[in-house]
Amino acid sequence: MGGFIFKRSLQSVFSLIALIVLVFFLARLTGSPADLYLPQDASPEVRFQFNERLGFNDPLYVQFGRFLVGLLHFDMGESLQFSRPAVDVVLNAFPTTLMLAAITMPIVIILSVITGSLAAFRPGGVFDRLASFISLIGASTPNFWVAIVGVLVFAVTFRILPTSGTGTPLHWVLPVAVLTLRPTGVLVQVVRTSMITALSSAYVKTAKARGVGSRAIIFVHALRNGLLPVITVASDQAAGIVNGAVIVETVFGFPGIGKLMIDSVMLRDFAVIQAAVLVTALAVFIINILVDITYALVDPRIRYS
Amino acid sequence: MTIRTSIILGIATAALMTAGQVSAQPSKAVTIVLPAGPDRLDPCETPRSVIGRIIKQNVVETLVELDYANRTTLPRLADSWEQTSPTEWLFKLHPGITFHDGAPFDAKSVIYSIERTTDPALTCITRTKYFDGTDIKATEVDAHTVKFVTGKPIPILPTLLAQLAIASPNTPKGKYTAQPIGTGPYTFDTWTQGEKVVLKRNDAYWGAKPVIEQATYVWRSESSVAAAMVETGEADLAFSIAPQDATNPKTDKVYPNSDSAMFRLSVDIPPLNDVRVRKAINLAIDRKAFLGSIISPKAELATQQVGPSVLGFNPTLKPWDYDPEQAMALLAEAKAAGVKVDQEIRMVGRPAMFSNSNEFVEAAAEMLRGVGFNIKLENLEMSQWLEMANKPFSPQRKPNIFLTMHDNNSGDAAFTAFFKYHSNGRQSELHDPELDALIVNAGTQSGEQRAAEYNEVFRRIYQDIVSDVPLFYMVNYMRVGSRLDFTPTIANAVELQLAKLTLKP
Repeated sequence: MGGFIFKRSLQSVFSLIALIVLVFFLARLTGSPADLYLPQDASPEVRFQFNERLGFNDPLYVQFGRFLVGLLHFDMGESLQFSRPAVDVVLNAFPTTLMLAAITMPIVIILSVITGSLAAFRPGGVFDRLASFISLIGASTPNFWVAIVGVLVFAVTFRILPTSGTGTPLHWVLPVAVLTLRPTGVLVQVVRTSMITALSSAYVKTAKARGVGSRAIIFVHALRNGLLPVITVASDQAAGIVNGAVIVETVFGFPGIGKLMIDSVMLRDFAVIQAAVLVTALAVFIINILVDITYALVDPRIRYS
Repeated sequence: MTIRTSIILGIATAALMTAGQVSAQPSKAVTIVLPAGPDRLDPCETPRSVIGRIIKQNVVETLVELDYANRTTLPRLADSWEQTSPTEWLFKLHPGITFHDGAPFDAKSVIYSIERTTDPALTCITRTKYFDGTDIKATEVDAHTVKFVTGKPIPILPTLLAQLAIASPNTPKGKYTAQPIGTGPYTFDTWTQGEKVVLKRNDAYWGAKPVIEQATYVWRSESSVAAAMVETGEADLAFSIAPQDATNPKTDKVYPNSDSAMFRLSVDIPPLNDVRVRKAINLAIDRKAFLGSIISPKAELATQQVGPSVLGFNPTLKPWDYDPEQAMALLAEAKAAGVKVDQEIRMVGRPAMFSNSNEFVEAAAEMLRGVGFNIKLENLEMSQWLEMANKPFSPQRKPNIFLTMHDNNSGDAAFTAFFKYHSNGRQSELHDPELDALIVNAGTQSGEQRAAEYNEVFRRIYQDIVSDVPLFYMVNYMRVGSRLDFTPTIANAVELQLAKLTLKP
């Protein structure tokens, strides 16, 4: 296992380096920050001073070299917006996003596994049709619409939840509910399909013939075998949230990394873009390693030698 | 009581307690919702609305305050001032004031703020927008008198100083601060990145004691959520909500935001180099049809780049009538004279320049096509738009009708006329020596003479040259909660003085 993790880490280092180089140069193709940070009537002298102070007058390869040297010290530069180290800005926002993902994903997985498994037990039955109908709605409804309707219904009309913000546990209810909707819709479909295949296999028929109960057949025998594709899709959904739940963060005023990244792209805050991409890429890399380990635990046939 | 019952009761109690916390506001504390959060809270950045609305005249004050209603200046930290020569001014400071950190407010602290703000080590907007090229020097005459010497005559120095916030001399030089220390009626308390800024009343304030004890600023970019926060009592005031969310006439108040929307025409490039064609464009757009449909019904038809609150605004200019027949006649006349009026013209917009700006340019393009123009519509992202807005203009550019939004909240036409219309102005399409001379001369005048000369500048631009298509003076909607007694004004485009908020009995 140790060897496998080392090998995967090594592969990921190459991916990370490629990503960093790409982000550095692509971000700089999008225009000069001076246009956005200075008044439109700023004089050429002021523009020169601005670019000089921030090193933007230097050739791109010099800027890149400076960036790499800083990176070796985990110094990603200073945020243009906040005049603070970019890493601090990103690490300040990232816990909120991680917390959103950490609360949302267990709910998504539990809901999907139970609903998808029960739907697969009698394909075409009433519960299956209902589950498919609701999960398709969940998977296809735009988050921003659900979020705004959620605010209008639960905060404005019934006054049982706050509109937005992060002050209390109740503030997390609507954002987590909205964030849960789409991944649950997708995952229910995956669990259902995977479980239908598992439930039609020979060992399930044998278990039925031996008089094993329905609950044990679904959740003990079939589910373990049907879990692999579910893990794959769930990890993909989790990575999506870790990358930033932009809509939810924007609507509910959550200070997460998604909104920070979008704002930084709009404002050409190169240091924050680079730091945010690096931090989220590392998080996605860790998720992938965890998923690989989970594969091995769930399916003993998989060995990482 | 079983464990399960205990857990359920515990959760219910916690939920009720937190619900109470959500909606309850301490009696003299207010929560204000801004459309965006601050990136820094430096006193030298107060002309930016995202910062000025929190700290200007609340935490940090200026020597002089703008009186938008009367287009003049009022004393604030300075009691009086006089111009002793074209390049020299004496400002008398109000005695007995201290900064929140205990440092005395005196001539030395004013000099320190001037030096810090104009230091090239920082890109303060107060310097880059207002003091660049002024070569301003401040010296101490006595503890409460400051002499300002400028490199060239600046008749509007008090107006400029209304933009310069005075910070404690303990504010670091050459480095932005996130903890502003001023002399204002409120002290900076906390700033939680991405969440909120809290100000507390300064009970040792030198002026009248304000009613509001604490202000918490939060930000929501989604307008419907900001409006909902006030409706549910979570907040008391939402600064800027979209017209479609301003559904309650009792709480939703409109105020001019000092922005003017306009099409700039590339007057050097055929067919727009023909004044008949430029007039035809003005006549072909039915501005009134937009009011109440995709532009707020409270917006006003613009007649020039600056609005009525700006010294230099020409009140004799009238909005263009909508007259498509006359537009077609002018186009026919130009065509007969050999102008290629059916040549393709680019109309350039920018998404989210204002509410429904995409829909606006689409409709405006269709109106122009209706009288015979060949319009190609494009929407550009911000940095592409800026590249096209600013000089140097591309030599290969095609004739264009370019949507702009100009904000002059400094109260004087000088901040518009040179930049937009002088040959050396960064966004000027014009190069008229006579107009240049008028602009330069107007800038050296003061008082009524200054206003009269700028009046002539704008008359020439809008009646003789017709280089623009004036559209609208825009407005914002503010939702004011039921606890507050407050009516917004144009000043709220860049600041909100908490001391002016009062609670209803």
